[in-house]
Amino acid sequence: MTAYLVRRLLWMPFLLLIVTFLTFVLGYYGPGDPAQLLLGQHSNPEAVERLRHELGLDRPLLVQFADYVWRALHGDFGESLTMARGRPVSDLLKRSLSITLQLNAVVLVVSLLVGVPLGVFAALKRNTWLDYLTMTGVVVAISLPTFLIAPILLWLFAYKWRLLPPGGWNGIFSRNIILPVIVMSAGPIAVFARQTRANLIDVLSQEYIRTAYAKGLHERRIFFVHALRNALIPLLTILGLMLGSLVVGSFITETIFGIPGVGRLAFQAFFSRDYPVIMALVLLIAIGYALANLLVDILYAFVDPRIRYQ
Amino acid sequence: MGRLLEVKNLETRFHTQDGTVHAVNGVSFYVDEGETLGVVGESGSGKSVTMLSVMRLIPQPPGEITNGEVWFEGRDLLKIDKEEMREVRGNRIAMIFQDPMTSLNPVLTIERQITEVLELHLGMNHQQARARAIELLKMVGIPAAEERIDSYPHQFSGGMRQRVMIAMGLACHPRLLIADEPTTALDVTIQAQIVELVKRLRDEIGMSVIWITHDLALLAGLADRIIVMYAGQIVESSPVHELYKNPRHPYTIGLLQSIPRLDEKQRERLQAIEGLPPDLIDYPTGCPFAPRCRFAIEKCWEVDPPLEEVSKGHYSACWVKPEGAEIMHQWHASNTEESQ
Ligand SMILES: Nc1ncnc2c1ncn2[C@@H]1O[C@H](COP(=O)(O)OP(=O)(O)OP(=O)(O)O)[C@@H](O)[C@H]1O
Ligand code: SF4
Ligand SMILES: [Mg+2]
Repeated sequence: MTAYLVRRLLWMPFLLLIVTFLTFVLGYYGPGDPAQLLLGQHSNPEAVERLRHELGLDRPLLVQFADYVWRALHGDFGESLTMARGRPVSDLLKRSLSITLQLNAVVLVVSLLVGVPLGVFAALKRNTWLDYLTMTGVVVAISLPTFLIAPILLWLFAYKWRLLPPGGWNGIFSRNIILPVIVMSAGPIAVFARQTRANLIDVLSQEYIRTAYAKGLHERRIFFVHALRNALIPLLTILGLMLGSLVVGSFITETIFGIPGVGRLAFQAFFSRDYPVIMALVLLIAIGYALANLLVDILYAFVDPRIRYQ
Repeated sequence: MGRLLEVKNLETRFHTQDGTVHAVNGVSFYVDEGETLGVVGESGSGKSVTMLSVMRLIPQPPGEITNGEVWFEGRDLLKIDKEEMREVRGNRIAMIFQDPMTSLNPVLTIERQITEVLELHLGMNHQQARARAIELLKMVGIPAAEERIDSYPHQFSGGMRQRVMIAMGLACHPRLLIADEPTTALDVTIQAQIVELVKRLRDEIGMSVIWITHDLALLAGLADRIIVMYAGQIVESSPVHELYKNPRHPYTIGLLQSIPRLDEKQRERLQAIEGLPPDLIDYPTGCPFAPRCRFAIEKCWEVDPPLEEVSKGHYSACWVKPEGAEIMHQWHASNTEESQ
């Protein structure tokens, strides 16, 4: 197991290198020339050529790529071309990333803390009206589209009742975060609740649970020691996906609530074809998922002895 | 010998979408102190459900014990409250199951799974329980028990896992051990070891054993008495040697004829009984064995025969009660001729 993890860890730089190269190639051959973009549509072709030279864009692809990687390793992702001309991409990224990370971390924690107990509750009360009620709520929550629910909540809480601020970012301990977290948690809560319930019900019909009953154990112990742990292990996969997406901001929520996170940054970068920013974002997401995957594997090994001792 | 367990008229049903499954239909039997009772019958004959009913471990719903009494140590287990029943399980009556692979919790150490019983029923603290668990593992023949106790189930072989199950079952010195096909999932040499182990521990602890199996031959050196189940009923009940010598129910005769005998020249498995057991949802009115029975008479199709004593301590539920000894003798004779 340890050997496997070490191998994975050693692989990661190569993986990231490949992802970077692919995005780089796309940017290189893709539409729109950075120098042209900078100087505008109707500029002097000579000037464009000069700028291309200055920017190093006339060098061979591999040289440019090596240069990019070398700088990236030193935290330099170039400068924004269009959306915030001249500002270092790393600056743009740092600020929005810190916001998105905080917001998504809160969403993740809330989803787990609400979703898992809901699922446990439903499984405990399985096939009673309490179970049906919980699960119906969950299905409703999962099927409500953000672009619909966010404005409604915003209108109700911020404008009609004036209970909460309409948006903006003030850190995770401010009241501004409440509405976006509710909107963003609904889906994950539903997923965690459903999975927890389904897994628990499945585990409760396993033979080792019957053994536990045959041993005369208290129902509480059977549920929380013998069943719950087995039921939660598969949730790690969902958790991994969510961890991976920690760095990915939600376009819609961030835009509706005016949160200057990665989602909004990406939105703007895409529409103004700001390649240096886009590339850095892609790289960031790749790193996020790679790390999350690794973390999930480690967690699996930690909670599931069958994997630990392979 | 005192009576340890007496089951009277037990009836268990499962309410399913297709209808009510008549899994156990008026089963009565007993087990004396120190006695080993063998239970045989084809798949689906209600062996497990009967014993799970005794333990009150039938999943409810869909299951329901609709009738009967289960007398154990002066109490009807079907009448006592949940908490009292919980104290009987794993403490006074232990149960081990067929598949040691899936019967142990994969994410808990062997130590945890054994010590929790000791802490619960005997009030030991963790150190005492651990020390005792190591003793138990040694007793069931786990080598290097001190180290292996901290392993997880998947690190053990099937046979070793079944030994762990036995250690767990015997942890509190139960009066009765119910073993539901504990060797079916194991290969033959390991099977024999497990049987020997249980026999030894039974005699050391002085407990009673109920041993469920498909395999009548296995019970020869193990059981004192045997009950034969068919379609959720007991169709024959007899001291072990009497049953082998002189089976009286056509179903038992069929079972015995399908055992390959080691002393025979031809060793291939002889034919099993033809046909299928009845549908337990649409339960037949007459003898449930009638469609497969070569002795059936008209009455068999109309009235279900009661279990009646045919000789001392030997009961059979059959209108005809053929002399099994004679039939088997003839059958073997004709069979040997054919193959010559
Ligand atoms: N949970 C359940 N729901 C519905 N029917 C069940 C359930 N458990 C058992 N049954 C039915 O009860 C009948 C008796 O089953 P049981 O498990 O006691 O048979 P068995 O004699 O132990 O067979 P085997 O030798 O295969 O273990 C079977 O027809 C089975 O389908
Ligand atoms: S009662 Fe009739 S059908 Fe049933 S076993 Fe006896 S002879 Fe066969
Ligand atoms: Mg069974």
